[in-house]
Amino acid sequence: MADEVAALAARPQDTRRETVAFVIGVAGWLVPGLGHALMKMWGRAAACFLTVGLLVILGAGMRGNVFSSSGNDAFDSLGYLADLGTGTFYLLARSLETGGADVSHAGGDYGTRFLATAGVLNLLAALHAYEAARGRKA
Amino acid sequence: MNAGMGFHLSHFQSMLLFALLISIAFGFLSRRRPIDRVKYIVWSLFLFLLIGVGIGWAMYPFSR
Repeated sequence: MADEVAALAARPQDTRRETVAFVIGVAGWLVPGLGHALMKMWGRAAACFLTVGLLVILGAGMRGNVFSSSGNDAFDSLGYLADLGTGTFYLLARSLETGGADVSHAGGDYGTRFLATAGVLNLLAALHAYEAARGRKA
Repeated sequence: MNAGMGFHLSHFQSMLLFALLISIAFGFLSRRRPIDRVKYIVWSLFLFLLIGVGIGWAMYPFSR
């Protein structure tokens, strides 16, 4: 009985915590490092922002492929999903790559990997921020 | 590397930059104490380079 009362009393707090954690996760996805910054994890926030930002700038500078939603096959779609992982930095990548992609050279191929890795890394960081906000990770 | 949003990096430079950035991100995300982070970053970077160069040499006989 006492356990049930305690469980019922805890529910609104849990719901609120889940909502806050979700908002932090989405914020971390939209702007790399913002999720951790909202929880005052400054070192992790700076590391996420700088590493994802540098990977995007280098990837676009090396003329990697910034995938769009109009992909021709499954690999293009997967690439688009990975690139979208960078959140608003996806728009930065598109604006930086004015000359278009050039994957005929190794540099462009590396650039494509840099961009995809930036997206997946940011998704991992956003998930980490979400879990930390839920109290599951420190 | 040159200016004007056109970076020209060698294979090794690209791999080194990639390994360094990923190691830093992983180190900061997975460890809390600064000394643990440094140890993780150095160890991860070393393994990235060792495995990358190792795979490169393993493919060398098939490159021609």
